Amino acid sequence: MASSTPQAWRFPDLTTAIVVVILAVMPFLVPTTLASQVAIFATATLSVTLLLGSVGLLSFGQGLYLGFGAYLTGLLLRDAGLGLLPTLVLATTAGTVLAGLLGILMVRRQGVYFVMLTLAFAQMGYFAMLSLKDITGGENGLTDLPRTMSLAGLPIGSPLSFYLLTAGAFLLAFLAVQRLNASPFGSVLTAIRENEGRSEAMGYDVKRYKIAAVAIAGGIAGLAGGLHAAFLGFVPPNDIELEISQRILVMAIIGGVGSPAGALVGSVFYTLVSEALSELWARWMALIALLLIAIVLYLPGGLWSIGRRLAERFGGRSADA
Amino acid sequence: MTIERRTILKSLAAAPAALAMPAYLRQASAQGGTLDIAAVYSLSGTFANVGTLLNSGSKWAIEKYDTVLGKKLNYVLIDDRGDAGEAVRRVQEVMTQRGIRHILGCTNSAIALAVQKEVYARGGIYVQMAGADESTGKDCNKSNFRWPVASYSAVNATVRPLIEKFPDAKKWYTITGQYVFGDSLLTNVKDVLKEKGLQHVGNSYHSLSDREYSGYIATALAAQPDVLAICNFGNQTLDVVRQAISYGMKRNTKILAVWSTGLDQFQALGPENCDGIYFGCNFWHGVDSPGGRVVAEVVKAKTGDVPNYLHACGYAVAQVLLEGIKKAGTDDVPAVIKALEGMTYEGPTGTETVRPEDHQVIKDYYLMLGKAKSAMKDKNDFADVVAATKAFLPPEKTGCKMS
Repeated sequence: MASSTPQAWRFPDLTTAIVVVILAVMPFLVPTTLASQVAIFATATLSVTLLLGSVGLLSFGQGLYLGFGAYLTGLLLRDAGLGLLPTLVLATTAGTVLAGLLGILMVRRQGVYFVMLTLAFAQMGYFAMLSLKDITGGENGLTDLPRTMSLAGLPIGSPLSFYLLTAGAFLLAFLAVQRLNASPFGSVLTAIRENEGRSEAMGYDVKRYKIAAVAIAGGIAGLAGGLHAAFLGFVPPNDIELEISQRILVMAIIGGVGSPAGALVGSVFYTLVSEALSELWARWMALIALLLIAIVLYLPGGLWSIGRRLAERFGGRSADA
Repeated sequence: MTIERRTILKSLAAAPAALAMPAYLRQASAQGGTLDIAAVYSLSGTFANVGTLLNSGSKWAIEKYDTVLGKKLNYVLIDDRGDAGEAVRRVQEVMTQRGIRHILGCTNSAIALAVQKEVYARGGIYVQMAGADESTGKDCNKSNFRWPVASYSAVNATVRPLIEKFPDAKKWYTITGQYVFGDSLLTNVKDVLKEKGLQHVGNSYHSLSDREYSGYIATALAAQPDVLAICNFGNQTLDVVRQAISYGMKRNTKILAVWSTGLDQFQALGPENCDGIYFGCNFWHGVDSPGGRVVAEVVKAKTGDVPNYLHACGYAVAQVLLEGIKKAGTDDVPAVIKALEGMTYEGPTGTETVRPEDHQVIKDYYLMLGKAKSAMKDKNDFADVVAATKAFLPPEKTGCKMS
């Protein structure tokens, strides 16, 4: 699915510029709260894009780390009185640690078994949330998060301030993934994706690299969860349901996993299209499914690859994948 | 050529905005002399079947009133897609970007609990139909009003009359949905049984995803109860009733579905499955009252049929809000809240009152008995009202500390 080349992982590049432009214009084109939601889900999708695009690991369980980050953020903000910045750092760290620990078990299996393990852990997370209802609020969600927050002395409360926060967080995560992909570590991940056996034969500790990738992706999802909780002032139980894992996976595939920018494209497209379709038909998810089928069959590189194809056709060079 | 390119660029820039901008923002036009009322319902997603009917009820109420205090009412629909997070985000959006302060509706308790806090934080008013006790209990707030009864009322308005009717029914078994609402019903059933000195011979929990209950029914049968009380909601209630009947449980055991939505569920069950079963419900079209007649007229005009609970409930939350605005003489939120506290009006179930201490509407909850097909006077005459009771926790016991 991914089609990266060493050239594709240059950092920063035209892709970086395009992402910055999209983030800059988005609040002028769509309602600010919707733009924030796009940025949050783009961050979550980035975790799938990293795993699937860079190392070839298909995860049906990124919602677990997103939910974990969201609930931890909710509890830290509400009960521990922690500031927003340390809370988000802790949510990211907690997502990394949880994913790393589970990753130790998951990378013992490959292919469909790995996928099933991610699915099983995600389900366990959901039922743990329900079982710990005194802490998590159960199916009512975690409520009463503080409404007024600040970050480095700047008040975070208005829709625009939240957008700046979520867009900034996405940009940081995006740059980190771009940097990671451009690094020797990223090259090893690519090698593992292309031929795991050969990478192992070359002396790379494939499992460790995979665990590291899973942990980093978990941290990014945890950050997205933390942002979602702070943005809503509430942790909806949906944040840890299996559906959220599916949703961000669909966003990743629609956007394309060949580039971290696909996460933003997928989130923008899915969020805006679902917004429009849900007004037309109650079963709008069926249309999303059709779209997904079309993309998988006819545009396996996702929407982002359209830009690359156009650039290659008219510009004579790749504008990055 | 330049002009063409500009046109194309303009169109391209406008396209995502047009696509993304929800209907409620696109509706924003001349707002002078209008009052926007936002309604939060799930028109897509898992709960779309419920949200659609509730939305119809609210929309028809707004159409019926048409104006209030000389202002044209503008119904602004928010589709939360069954996602509490989405509901909160969209409420944020209409409150911050359109300045809407009057909100109503919900499709489930999780959505209502989240939205009621959001509306309160942003200085609005919210009338909803959550079933969770917390809504007007420990999570109550000044902005929030609830029309239907909570689980305490549902249990006390059904279990107590049934005990009085069958004093020899000593052994009770419960089948409970393992979620907050089911647990809440179960706790209240246990409290009543304990108070009355009756025996709770067992309980079976089922999950939210269960559709097959034969194992639970078999366990219940083995306990040989006099009454089977079903403590869940929605389609799961129907499935448990159907399967209990198919196991022959009706022969020796009274079956009580503590919480039902009435007519629409009776239609789904059919008279053969309703006959002899007891149901609790918030609204029944056969109860004659001035307010009920108004709802019936409105629904008749729209559907040609009688109203069901979801229609009536959607209508009722809008009615409560609009009557409050009328009484206040202004749409200013603090004044409307003050006017609503203690307000009495003719609602769908008769004379209803908004309790000032917790903002719960005090109204009847019905214990109904399903009747045989041969006894039905018309196609909607599935059941008779056995008892109509206003059974509410005293305000000091709800846990509500009004903020």
